[in-house]
Amino acid sequence: MSRTSDVTNLSRRTVLALPLGLAAAASGARAAEPKRGGTMVMIVHPEPSTLAHYAVSAGNIPPIATQVYEGLCTYDWDQNPQPNLAKSWEVEPDGKTITFKLQDGVTFHNGKPFTSADVQYSFMEILKKYNPIAPVMLAELVAVDTPDPMTAILRLANPAPYLMKALSGRDLPILCRSVFEGTDVLQNPSANKPIGTGPFKFTSWERGQFVRLDRNETYWKPGLPYLNRIVARFIPDAATRSAAMEAGEAHFAGYSAVNYADLARMKTNPILDLTTKGYEMTPAQSVLELNGRHPQLQKKEVRQAIAYAIDRKVILKDVMFGYGLPATGPLSRKFKTAGLYTDDVRQYDVPDRLDIANKLLDEAGAPRGADGTRFALHLEVNSFGEQWLRQAEYLKQALAGVGIAVTLRSEDTATWLRRVYTNYDYDLNEPFLSQGVDPVYGLNKQFLTSQIRKGVTFVNDTFYSNPEVDRMLGEGARELDAEKRAALYKKVQQVLAEDSPMIWLIDVQYVSVSNRRLKDHTTGPLGTQQAFERAWMDK
Amino acid sequence: MRTGLARFARNRLALAGAAVLLGLVALVALTPLLYPGDPFRLVGPALQPPGGPFLLGTDTLGRDVGAEIAYGARTSLIIGLSATGAAILFGTLIGGLAGYYRGSVEVALMRITEFFQTIPAFVLAILIVAILSPSLFSEVVAIVAVSWPGIARLVRGEFVALGSREFVLACDGLGAGDARIVFRHMLPNCTAAIIAVGTLLIGTAILIEAGLAFLGLGDPNVMSWGLIISSGRAVLRSAWWICTFPGLAILLTVLAINLVGDGLNEVLNPRLRER
Amino acid sequence: MRLARFLGYRLLLAIPVVLGIVVLNFFLIHLAPGDAASVLAGESGAASPEYMEQLRHKFGLDQPLATQFGVYLLNMLHLDLGYSFRNDSPVGSLIVDRLWPTGLLMLTAFAAALLIGTLLGLVAATGRNSWRDAVISLVSLVAYATPGFWLGLMMIVVFAIRLGWLPTSGYDTVGADNEGWDEVWDVGRHLVMPAVALALFYLAVYARVMRASVLEQVGMDYVTTARAKGQTEARVMTGHVLRNALLPVVTIAGVQAGNLIGGSIVVETVFGWPGVGTLAFNALQSRDLNLLLGIFFVSACLVVVINLAVDLVYVCLDPRLEL
Repeated sequence: MSRTSDVTNLSRRTVLALPLGLAAAASGARAAEPKRGGTMVMIVHPEPSTLAHYAVSAGNIPPIATQVYEGLCTYDWDQNPQPNLAKSWEVEPDGKTITFKLQDGVTFHNGKPFTSADVQYSFMEILKKYNPIAPVMLAELVAVDTPDPMTAILRLANPAPYLMKALSGRDLPILCRSVFEGTDVLQNPSANKPIGTGPFKFTSWERGQFVRLDRNETYWKPGLPYLNRIVARFIPDAATRSAAMEAGEAHFAGYSAVNYADLARMKTNPILDLTTKGYEMTPAQSVLELNGRHPQLQKKEVRQAIAYAIDRKVILKDVMFGYGLPATGPLSRKFKTAGLYTDDVRQYDVPDRLDIANKLLDEAGAPRGADGTRFALHLEVNSFGEQWLRQAEYLKQALAGVGIAVTLRSEDTATWLRRVYTNYDYDLNEPFLSQGVDPVYGLNKQFLTSQIRKGVTFVNDTFYSNPEVDRMLGEGARELDAEKRAALYKKVQQVLAEDSPMIWLIDVQYVSVSNRRLKDHTTGPLGTQQAFERAWMDK
Repeated sequence: MRTGLARFARNRLALAGAAVLLGLVALVALTPLLYPGDPFRLVGPALQPPGGPFLLGTDTLGRDVGAEIAYGARTSLIIGLSATGAAILFGTLIGGLAGYYRGSVEVALMRITEFFQTIPAFVLAILIVAILSPSLFSEVVAIVAVSWPGIARLVRGEFVALGSREFVLACDGLGAGDARIVFRHMLPNCTAAIIAVGTLLIGTAILIEAGLAFLGLGDPNVMSWGLIISSGRAVLRSAWWICTFPGLAILLTVLAINLVGDGLNEVLNPRLRER
Repeated sequence: MRLARFLGYRLLLAIPVVLGIVVLNFFLIHLAPGDAASVLAGESGAASPEYMEQLRHKFGLDQPLATQFGVYLLNMLHLDLGYSFRNDSPVGSLIVDRLWPTGLLMLTAFAAALLIGTLLGLVAATGRNSWRDAVISLVSLVAYATPGFWLGLMMIVVFAIRLGWLPTSGYDTVGADNEGWDEVWDVGRHLVMPAVALALFYLAVYARVMRASVLEQVGMDYVTTARAKGQTEARVMTGHVLRNALLPVVTIAGVQAGNLIGGSIVVETVFGWPGVGTLAFNALQSRDLNLLLGIFFVSACLVVVINLAVDLVYVCLDPRLEL
């Protein structure tokens, strides 16, 4: 047992120490006694197109879907797994077998009992086959054995230290086998009428208006949930969303559904509360990608010069309104908790950065022309919201400062994605990248040579290819020893920051705005992307 | 012509409108002097309220709202005039052909015109911008696509009416060519109607452009009033001036254009003059 | 009987028109670059090529365009508008769900605009060049020149936030589950601002057209004759002028019918009104082509029906016309 991972050790200890639900109570502890009843109105933006959480992984689905679908585990504030549908678990020393003991007496909303067969079916038959992201997390999973209804054994081809981070209802939801078996999974009627084990049952969806979820009267955690009803409301206009919070019409707006610009005013509102908690396991960065096949951008000096030319603090202040942190490298600071983040990399935010940038560009053989311009580039504007146009406008000004003339191109989502990820017809691109619960998700898809995949969105489109990085990322995925793993990822971050295949702009910080009457809404690092089972409304 | 001018001059509202438009043109002409350089430049601290060193305040990135509005005026005028001009040309061509030749030509052309009118205008405009990708050009094309059918119907109606008038019949009888009849006799007789409707179209074009830019379908490299409003919409509550001033600019401009249009209508439209 | 035959004839004529519209729309829409699968995959973060293939197959996007078109036409002949894969729901039910809120908003705005607009136009015309005329003309000019979305934003700030008189947005108070008159009252309060933002523009149009039209009629011979016969001014107005003056207003209203659905996109966006306009905008943005085609089809049918209605109103207003 001397070689077991920290993760395993921690999980065993906490399993023994913590009775059901105590973790949440300990963190969000408040003197007041929870009151029962009431309706919580939360703003979800934009309206999801589908609730098929198992087949589509858009960020606006989980706030609704995780009320209905649960995972094997939840997570405490230190991001250690806690029992949920799994009562306890054991990881073999070689890291290739994980045995889950399941909670008895759990039923799905359709009355069917929850057993190990549902775990097996969810992982092997649905998530591995139909989910866009889960296959990364389940890459090493070859089989799920079900020796008895309350035991599920995950068999892995290689150790997968990241898997224990991905067992929440958000990342690997547990579905009811009998609902899907023998049907066409992609056209299953439960896509928009989800059936899970969660504290709230799906009731109705008025398109363009709201989704209604009602209390699961037979929820397996005794006494929970406190709320009678959750209504997820959809309001397309940003100013109107803010107004709905200020007027008390809605009680919760997570995942930055309220525009950053309005947060300063919300902060002074006596009926509202702001928190940045609940996003610890939702790391994301805004970046500027450089097309590595462009004659100028394939020069390392030019890429570094661009990294020097941009003042991340301006973006932070004027585009993100102060929420977030200037990015230092390819991993968000959210990975500090897991010990994988380092800022011991090449620093681009230095006092004489503009001089360095100009010098690098001169050296790279891109001198200023008569009008002060060195060369011209197109920047594809991210179509997922107004703020990205602001960022693009700033980037254009910043690059003009070092003699790079930028023309903006703002196309709708379909055209933009086609141009960048299928046609590769772009110079600069400013996507917003989720990094998942482990670097194995974010780093691998952006920087592995094998991830240069035409037609696939948000993978390696900078054509970065470095055998050393490929090797280290491969090892990192399987390394069970926490220290060795951290060392590998530190080196990866240093190499990437030096090569600068993309410019890391901001470590994004989401914000939740809530009405003060709503209590205990954020009880863990998954925040809005886990069930509001303990949330309650003060009268 | 002199009586026309005098008549126009007696219409005080129309004069006021003309004065506003002249002011606007002057602003556009003087913009490079008043606000030299790129209106997208970050010239000051973000979200400065109006009054201080920046007369109309600054926006979320610290750009001068005054400069943005001045450059936006140019965009609005360019779009309004070019889209209207193109719509008139195209609409007159289609409507003229239909109204002059009648028969199957008319049926075919009018069906096409109707087709464009069955698609909700704004959805059609958005669709066209999506196909062509947002730019000044695609915005103009979109506006033309939704406004030419109106002109075509108008011109066809006028042509049909004129076609039965004695002087046209006489020309035809005298063996005058089609082109001569159309350009010497028929077109001049419907200029008044076209100009009156066309003036209003300029205003509509400016409104459509603002709507497109508001939905994020404007040209991101060109400053326009719609773009300013859509950028200020997020901070509407904290920084009212970013949305308010360009909105007022649109209102005032379109109002002035319509006042002038009304004035012209009264002068040029013979049927109204009789009273 | 004649009415029934007339209606039947007109509807029969409309079929090829609508069919032609469907065909043209189909190919027009396919000109837009990118497809629904890439949008969905984009929103999901990174998706494997297999996942994308799966989606394309499910959506029928892996078929040649001609086949897709054939399938679509076949469905249309069964009056089946197809399936919106993005929304996991039949197109028909998606549109029907939105039709009521849209209809409510449109009809309210339209009826108010028509009623108040014609009334104002009449008042202005009867007092030509008086202060009434000047005020009404100026107001309608300003209303005509105001961008609806901007007006909407300003109204939210003033009436919903500063004064707190009206709700900011939405169709009704979510979670209140009102019934009966309470619900009517609730929806009504939500309806006020979007309806005003939308109606002002049309109101201005009708007021202007009505004014010009009344003035034109007043100059006609028959009015002079009627006056000469000693009829009272009120009788002349209601009996003769009003009837004829309404004709151009009806014409304009009919022409605007095509804009009913699209014209409200921005207003619906500002007020979060669950209407067909935003549905169309989202469908286009996400390349949900079946849904967009369905909306275009419904809109085309609406235009045909409204044109028919306009013709009928014409007959009622103008006895000289026959079916």
